[in-house]
Amino acid sequence: MVDSSQLLKSSELFSKVALLKIRAKDLVEGLLSGHHKSRHKGSSVEFAEYKDYSPGDEIRHIDWKVVGKTDKYHVKQFEESTNIKCTLMLDASGSMDYQPPKKTSGEISKWNYAQVLTASLSYLFLKQFDAAGLVLFNDQAVRHIPPRSKPSHFQNILNELAAMEPSGNTGFGKAVGQVIERLPGRSLAILISDLFFKHDDLEKNLKLMRARGVEVVLFHVLHPDETSLPFEGEIVFESLEDDPPIGLDPYEIRESYREAIQNQIGAYKKTCASLGVDYEFLQTSEPLEQALSYYLLKRNSLNKQ
Amino acid sequence: MSLNFISPLFLLGLLGIGLPVLVHLLTKRQVTHIKFSAVYLLRSSHKRSIRRSRPNRWLLLLFRCLAVAGLSLSLAHPIFSFTGNEVFLASKPAANVFILDDSYSMRLAVDGKSRFELAADYLTNAIGEMPASNAVGLALASTPARRLQGWGADRQTLGQKIESTQVSFATTQIGPAVKEALDLLESSPQEIKRIFILTDLAKNGWTEEEFPEILSHVPPVNINVVDFSPESSGTNRAAIQGVEVGQEFLANRRTVRIKAKIANLLPEKLLSRLPVSLWVDGKKIKDRWIEALSGPTSEVEFSIPLQEDGPLEGRVEIGEDALNEDNRRYFIYQPKQKLNVLIVDGDPDTVAHQSETFYLERALNPFAASTADIEPTISTLAELPRRDLGKFSVILLCNVNELPFDYERQIEKFVLQGGGLIVSLGDKVDPGFFNEKLGALFPVTLDALNQVGAGHEPFRMKLKDKKHPALKVFGAKIRSQMEAIRFHSIFSSSPREGKSLSVPISFSNGTPALIESTYGEGKTILFASTLDRDWNEFPIQPTFLPWIQRWVKYAARGLGAITRKDLLIGETYRWEDEGEPGLVETPTGAFKAFTVADGSASLFKDTAIPGVYKVYPASKNNLESASERVSNRPDPGVSPIGFFTVNLDTEESRPQKISPEEIQQLLDGASLKIIDSKDSMAADPQDGNFPMAGPFLLLAALALLGEGWLVRRE
Repeated sequence: MVDSSQLLKSSELFSKVALLKIRAKDLVEGLLSGHHKSRHKGSSVEFAEYKDYSPGDEIRHIDWKVVGKTDKYHVKQFEESTNIKCTLMLDASGSMDYQPPKKTSGEISKWNYAQVLTASLSYLFLKQFDAAGLVLFNDQAVRHIPPRSKPSHFQNILNELAAMEPSGNTGFGKAVGQVIERLPGRSLAILISDLFFKHDDLEKNLKLMRARGVEVVLFHVLHPDETSLPFEGEIVFESLEDDPPIGLDPYEIRESYREAIQNQIGAYKKTCASLGVDYEFLQTSEPLEQALSYYLLKRNSLNKQ
Repeated sequence: MSLNFISPLFLLGLLGIGLPVLVHLLTKRQVTHIKFSAVYLLRSSHKRSIRRSRPNRWLLLLFRCLAVAGLSLSLAHPIFSFTGNEVFLASKPAANVFILDDSYSMRLAVDGKSRFELAADYLTNAIGEMPASNAVGLALASTPARRLQGWGADRQTLGQKIESTQVSFATTQIGPAVKEALDLLESSPQEIKRIFILTDLAKNGWTEEEFPEILSHVPPVNINVVDFSPESSGTNRAAIQGVEVGQEFLANRRTVRIKAKIANLLPEKLLSRLPVSLWVDGKKIKDRWIEALSGPTSEVEFSIPLQEDGPLEGRVEIGEDALNEDNRRYFIYQPKQKLNVLIVDGDPDTVAHQSETFYLERALNPFAASTADIEPTISTLAELPRRDLGKFSVILLCNVNELPFDYERQIEKFVLQGGGLIVSLGDKVDPGFFNEKLGALFPVTLDALNQVGAGHEPFRMKLKDKKHPALKVFGAKIRSQMEAIRFHSIFSSSPREGKSLSVPISFSNGTPALIESTYGEGKTILFASTLDRDWNEFPIQPTFLPWIQRWVKYAARGLGAITRKDLLIGETYRWEDEGEPGLVETPTGAFKAFTVADGSASLFKDTAIPGVYKVYPASKNNLESASERVSNRPDPGVSPIGFFTVNLDTEESRPQKISPEEIQQLLDGASLKIIDSKDSMAADPQDGNFPMAGPFLLLAALALLGEGWLVRRE
């Protein structure tokens, strides 16, 4: 006999998954149709340059149009491309569940923003026949879906994303320790987090990943409230993690807080730059397309090198 | 240590503290709870950003409250005392009655402040120091001692009562004041009962007869006497004890003699060159310097010619000292008016001294001087019908046998309208005629002539009613001289039924010598012997002159000599002259009304201020109602119809101070403590008391500065 509450939970989950799917697909399709029309022609064969024909070259690679124009035999050369195995590491700690006290219409929460970003990226990878996997972590790895390139794998990712409720403290080191061995060599890891690490040494963990040959892209996602502290009046701030509450007038600390958060962002940027990690700071007020387009541009430039 | 306030009303300003509190509450923001992701960052930022904090609202509130409180406290003139007065602190809630001596000796100045002011300050401070659980009552110890405030009044009311109390001109009455206090304490439920007497210990106020029984009070009453007679105070050197004014008849000119009795109050010390001055109608007339010996009173006499018939209003003053109130004494003198007396001689003789009226005429007008106040007119019986009785105030019938036909009716009318009739007897008198015709006028019938022969004990007068208005001026010596006079013939008489009479003088055999009665508005007096030497030796005695003059004046009424004109503070003035008195003008210029007692006598009781009081006749305007009288003035152009003076009772001036032993004896049964007012800081602002208005003002200013600095930081 099926429990009615479980049934209700399942239906909610389905709707969440469906919504996530629609959002991610719409986002990626729209993005691709605007910037990369030819990408679907094949990701495994990439034109590189022409070379003079020499015996042994495949006849089918001779470009007859060029022969007709120049009366010389030129052979097209193609770059060999392989499927990328991407692991999306989404921070599912309590701090990701920040909800602004006054929600404006159409505003998306930090967690939802990160969810959609993750789903979109995984859809994008799968659509390019790359393999996409998912790691959800707080102070440890909570879920781990290894990368797969089957289109149906998207549904698994969505399911896990939708089912996840952010909770617990933020801790990156332990999660990295748990999944590093399972990350494929020369793969891509995309870390999506607010980076509110109190104790962990991000630099050390990123170094470890880089040493394993893992290319890392870091999306630092914050809500605008978390950078500007716009609140007024006497406020008791209750932690979404395990910090004790603090009562204060934000006016008193606004300047120093802003300074602290900017310092933190600056430090992360510097660390990432020194480690060859792509760092992108995202505020939830910015459209998600920006994050994805950044990624695509980044990938393009990498491929051209 | 204690804090007292000179103007405690300003403490109401402390309520103003509510204003900053209200502002604080109105501007208080609601605390909201927000779930936040980077609380650890907030915490680290909070630690670093103390300098840029908003103004502390609690500190702001504190500064504002301090500013209001400081301002209010400084306006209330606080006096801080380091030394507390344990006298006023009781182990349990106590009932306390403060007796404030407001007699005029408390006017004695001490370093620019009178004893009374010092005592009032002391009292205010003492009440301020008392715990709120203590009940406080007030009584005043000047004559008449009275309760000023019972239980239940708050400290502010008590303060106002004390502030409004003025030192009086009356003498001290500690005994009745203690009785008032005991009566008040009886009604109090408190276990501890205390009386505080704030006095200068003037001995005259501590009369044994006036003290109530204190032993019977259970629990025993604690009596604290606070002494306000410090040795360093100024000295009351002298006082004028009395002023006598009289006319001299020995000279042809009418001269007024003013005699002042001056007491040197310094023990065993000569008061040399003490200035004495005479003031008449507001002008200094004469100056004199005297040497006043210690002990007996010194007499200073001024003689001034009398220019007018109007009243002589003035005062005698002596040089200033620490208590000036007893350095002046007021007097008023109404120069004696002519009193026309018709003397009917029933036994005239060609030899003057054998005439019935020879001695009488000379007694009434001794030197035939025109300045004399009694003007006798001698008439025979034959002349009598031609006399206009309306011109005379008194008729004397001397040894008259029979009156002209039906003349007794005219005499009856004369007496009925207010005239005086004096009848003296003699050998010509017909008792039958007297009893028949003059029965309406006299309340007695003549019985028989009583005579004593030679060698027998003569009749002598007995002055029975020594307080009779006509007799009270005579001292014991004069009275004994009168009672020694020999009478060998007298008429005996019997009272008529239903008639009222009085016999102020009788003879040694018990028969009335002088019978007085009233008829209508007038008086009749019957003397049961002769007024010449036929039946007695009285006319040749020195006492005859004043005696007969007093009786003539008494019979005439209306003459000021009889009425007492010089009162002491607090005594009641009784109008005894002719006419209806309406208003009295007091020395301060206020007009006040008489009170009517017993349906007839007009009394004036408001004699609290020394000076000359003027009596104005009643007019239609000021007789309408008692309440209107007070505010009314006499009719324009109306002259006073009478005067009287009110002076201090100089007993209070005497410097004698009662000793603690004597007080203990008087207050036997009470737990007594004598406190020197100087020992207590409550009375001495120089000793241990610090005005705190300045520091509180500074506190307010600093608080305002602090508040401004905080707000500016924002």
